[in-house]
Amino acid sequence: MTPIAIVGVGETPAVRRSEKSLRALVVEAVSNAIDDAGLKASDVDGILSDGLVMPTTVPRDFVAAQFGIDRRYDGGMSFGGAGSACAPQLAQLAISSGLAKVVVYYFGVDWGTRTSGPYGFHDLYAGKMAFEKPYGFNAQPSYFALWARRYMHDYGLTERDLATIAVTQRQSALRNPRSQVKKPMSYDDYFAARVVSDPLRVPDCCLITDGAAAFVMTSLERARDLPKPPVRVLGTGFGSEPVNGDDAFTQPGGMMRIPGAKAAAERALGQAGLTHADIDFAEIYDCFSISCLLQIEEAGFCKRGEGAAFIREKGIGIDGRFPVNTHGGLLSHSYLLGVEHVIEAVRQLRGDSGEAQVKDARVGFVGGLSNPDYGVLLLGKD
Amino acid sequence: MAFSCLAKIEMNQSLSPEFVGFFDNARRGVLSFPRCGACARFHWYPMPRCPHCRSADVRWQAVSGRGELFSFTSVKHAFDPKRADSLPYTVGLVTFVDAPSVQFVTNIADVPAEALTIGMPVEAVFDQVEDGRVMFRPVPLKSGGIA
Repeated sequence: MTPIAIVGVGETPAVRRSEKSLRALVVEAVSNAIDDAGLKASDVDGILSDGLVMPTTVPRDFVAAQFGIDRRYDGGMSFGGAGSACAPQLAQLAISSGLAKVVVYYFGVDWGTRTSGPYGFHDLYAGKMAFEKPYGFNAQPSYFALWARRYMHDYGLTERDLATIAVTQRQSALRNPRSQVKKPMSYDDYFAARVVSDPLRVPDCCLITDGAAAFVMTSLERARDLPKPPVRVLGTGFGSEPVNGDDAFTQPGGMMRIPGAKAAAERALGQAGLTHADIDFAEIYDCFSISCLLQIEEAGFCKRGEGAAFIREKGIGIDGRFPVNTHGGLLSHSYLLGVEHVIEAVRQLRGDSGEAQVKDARVGFVGGLSNPDYGVLLLGKD
Repeated sequence: MAFSCLAKIEMNQSLSPEFVGFFDNARRGVLSFPRCGACARFHWYPMPRCPHCRSADVRWQAVSGRGELFSFTSVKHAFDPKRADSLPYTVGLVTFVDAPSVQFVTNIADVPAEALTIGMPVEAVFDQVEDGRVMFRPVPLKSGGIA
């Protein structure tokens, strides 16, 4: 396959509520990404989005019409986080086969304004509507609260372990001028925070955000002629299991596990010819503190049940031995379902992260969760 | 108690045909799950075909209604504004010896979340099931307390 690179990134400011429409936010992000790449919209011949959220909110034909892009390639896979992490896989297939030369991917949500956002999204699932919502079990914090309680029972995880994830990511967010949250948080602040669905507190849960982000991909060869340092796509992996969205949070096939993560990580590492030890930092889909911890385990960075000890021993701060979510993640930067994780990895590998820069960052891991799907993207310096 | 407020909340009535048997049985005081006539395995949630062997011979199998509490959470935030007056309420996940591979989302009645422990025996309650919902409660001991 033809080596490709991410050559441009763009985003809107991370805010709880925007005055702008989601369409306007997407247009701003795409425009910024194309400018950042040093390209013109007329250079773009392929458009990608996730496969579910964008097609029903800001479809690709709208973006094409707004920018005057004559599409030769169009696509999207999975949804949300896995869709963003795997977009370079689709782009690489298109570029390698000659179907497209310059491909832009975008994702955005207005779930800060549309307050039923994430909960309303799960109303798409017929089984959840019939057998979960009538019991008041219709929100992601409650799903992950059941996981956290049982995981604590089985593996000795403590509330302080969860606090460590939230507090550390807040520290990272404060070193990033773009993060939505500007307020420091100590362990005491964490424990004083409101419980939403016990044992989970407000800081264990992702933010809610209005915003959009986009990135531009082309062949590595062409990337080297563009203004920004190319960030190379080293490997991509998609993984899933035959678990449906109704079952993914409560039934044995999906409960307390991240079904596709192991396969996705192995596929991406195999393609890149790398091992976990080569990874300098990781941007992991931290919709909840507990889900971040489980992904660290299931993506193979440590064994089942050892996530909390791994986090304590390595340190997941920017200056730790295994920096995780260096922008603050979904917990403290913004909740754009993982597309910002890709943007942050690019920024780190360009050396553009300022006070949040991981020293000597050469290889970054991006994990995108869309239960039961999982996407892994490995990026590296050229 | 807060729990009774939940019974007034409307059920979603646009049920998929393969879901209907559960509610018909529940209104008669019977807890049942889909079981395959070909391979005898249970599955949950209901699917048009058995996900283990793809047989279309899926039947509703009555179970005892006795199970174990796999996990639980006390919900303290009104994710649905209609529930603001019923906080906190307890959501439990129940497993069954006589229906392996089924994990059932329910509300735990009668006791506060502080009195619950993982693994405790629970039983189905059918006294508020006009809408087909099935609640669970800890199994009472003859001596008075709960198991």
